[in-house]
Amino acid sequence: MLHTLLRHSPWFVSLPFSGAERLEAECVYAEARLRLRAEELRATNLTRAPLRIETGARTDLGRVRRNNEDAYQIEPELNLYVLSDGMGGESHGEVASVLAVHTVVAHCRQAANDPATPTFGEPRPDVSERTNRLASGVHLANRKVFEAAGANSEQKGMGATLVAAWLEGQRLSLAHVGDSRAYLLRAGSLLQLTSDHSLVAEKVRIGILTPQEAEMSELQSVLTRAVGPQADVEVDADEQMLLPGDMLLLCSDGLTRMITDPEIASTLLTTTSAQAAADRLIELANENGGVDNITVIVLRLAAKSENVIRWLKGWKRNSG
Amino acid sequence: MSRLVLKFEGTALKEVPLGNGPVTIGRAPDNDIPIDNLAVSNYHARIYVEAGSLVVEDLNSLNGTFLNDLRVERAMLKDGDAVLIGKHHVVLDQEHDTPLPINSMRKAPAPRVNETMVLDTQERRDMFEQAAAVGERSQLVPDRLRVPTLAVLRGRTSQKEYRLVGKLTVIGSSSMATVRLRGWFAPNVAAQINKHEDGYYLGRGDRVPKINGVEIGGPTKLNDGDLIEVGRVQLNFLYRA
Repeated sequence: MLHTLLRHSPWFVSLPFSGAERLEAECVYAEARLRLRAEELRATNLTRAPLRIETGARTDLGRVRRNNEDAYQIEPELNLYVLSDGMGGESHGEVASVLAVHTVVAHCRQAANDPATPTFGEPRPDVSERTNRLASGVHLANRKVFEAAGANSEQKGMGATLVAAWLEGQRLSLAHVGDSRAYLLRAGSLLQLTSDHSLVAEKVRIGILTPQEAEMSELQSVLTRAVGPQADVEVDADEQMLLPGDMLLLCSDGLTRMITDPEIASTLLTTTSAQAAADRLIELANENGGVDNITVIVLRLAAKSENVIRWLKGWKRNSG
Repeated sequence: MSRLVLKFEGTALKEVPLGNGPVTIGRAPDNDIPIDNLAVSNYHARIYVEAGSLVVEDLNSLNGTFLNDLRVERAMLKDGDAVLIGKHHVVLDQEHDTPLPINSMRKAPAPRVNETMVLDTQERRDMFEQAAAVGERSQLVPDRLRVPTLAVLRGRTSQKEYRLVGKLTVIGSSSMATVRLRGWFAPNVAAQINKHEDGYYLGRGDRVPKINGVEIGGPTKLNDGDLIEVGRVQLNFLYRA
């Protein structure tokens, strides 16, 4: 009851108080408000915490390749993280992955400043506007890489995988094409958030190949979808609420072909910072052969401790 | 080790151990369990593990696959079940302590085509069209034709019933929540439901929800009729017609 009354602006002002009575009422009010604020604060720390994000990232040539066709970009202001693995021989894979990453980032930044930015691809009815915007960026990236390949006959057929994560408060938007992955480590368990668009992965999903057979297959490099080779592409989009304590990993297949999911999980769990985790993952992939370029982006999410200060300031402003 | 035993008029003809891969049954000699009988289609049925359960699936055979006298398109198998194909029975002999085979820690070096390539869209379509047709028939109940719904049994929420239309459904007081919880100490994100290809999965939020009285570990698939408890709220997950 007190809560309900206090949530509205000073309820007693309409009362015919004056002088000492008024002062007393104001004191009671201020005290109650302080108590309420403390309660709110407690509730905030326990249950309402927005997330503090710690980021680590690294890309590595590996031990076999001569050039790095992976690319990534992190945009802390937008909470946007994009990773791509290019292909197409010579240095065209590099062109494709860099172009894809830049296009997605530029599109999302433009949309953040101007919601009227045109969208590409058919928006899905079952995900948020933000997630559709991210997918739109991937559709645009596909168009740009496709056009660049067409303009230069040497670059024909170049393409790239793409995995992108964009946070809005606690909600994670994900978009991906190809076999670069997103993983979530929550409460000690590792969860793969994306399904590979590769021939072997699709065969496993429909039950005509076992995961063991898939790992030994010669056809691991055959993708069923990629950014660039065709005029349009189907983009997978998904969302998830992130929680304090979660870790998010985006990676190219140079990591996941070299080390297993349990190794990824234990590395994320035992390292003390996001950057240390990123470094260690790359080290492990190289120790196991490093046959491809390796790129990882690691996010560690924690409850926001600055929150306390923000709420106290808010209280001061409201009561001042 | 669990196994499948092929029997004809009570006599065991063949035993096949169950591994990870599907076991196919049919008249063609390249089946795991070939049955040389005209009543049996070339590729008649298959048995495989799905989400920890064994499933028998009829592969559009002419004369059908029967489980305990019922014709089935797809059904879950339990120990001792006999699948009738033509005049032969395939009996499941399950050993309960056998753990499911899991991957070893180290990755075996895979032979590898060096350059990544992309399958042409048409090739891909052809390859998966047939498989998709199997997938279409593979639902025990065509859940996708019915509307997944959360009915509120107890607790303070913004509505009494919610239809799940998005890929993500948040239960909490957050402005992003579909199932908006009311009350001062309602958590921002109490729990969440994610839609995957094969159904809806309940996952934790700031709370660990219970399904039918049991706290979930990781994301857990919801079945028709499941009772979800999170904090003081009770919800019934239903596929409404």
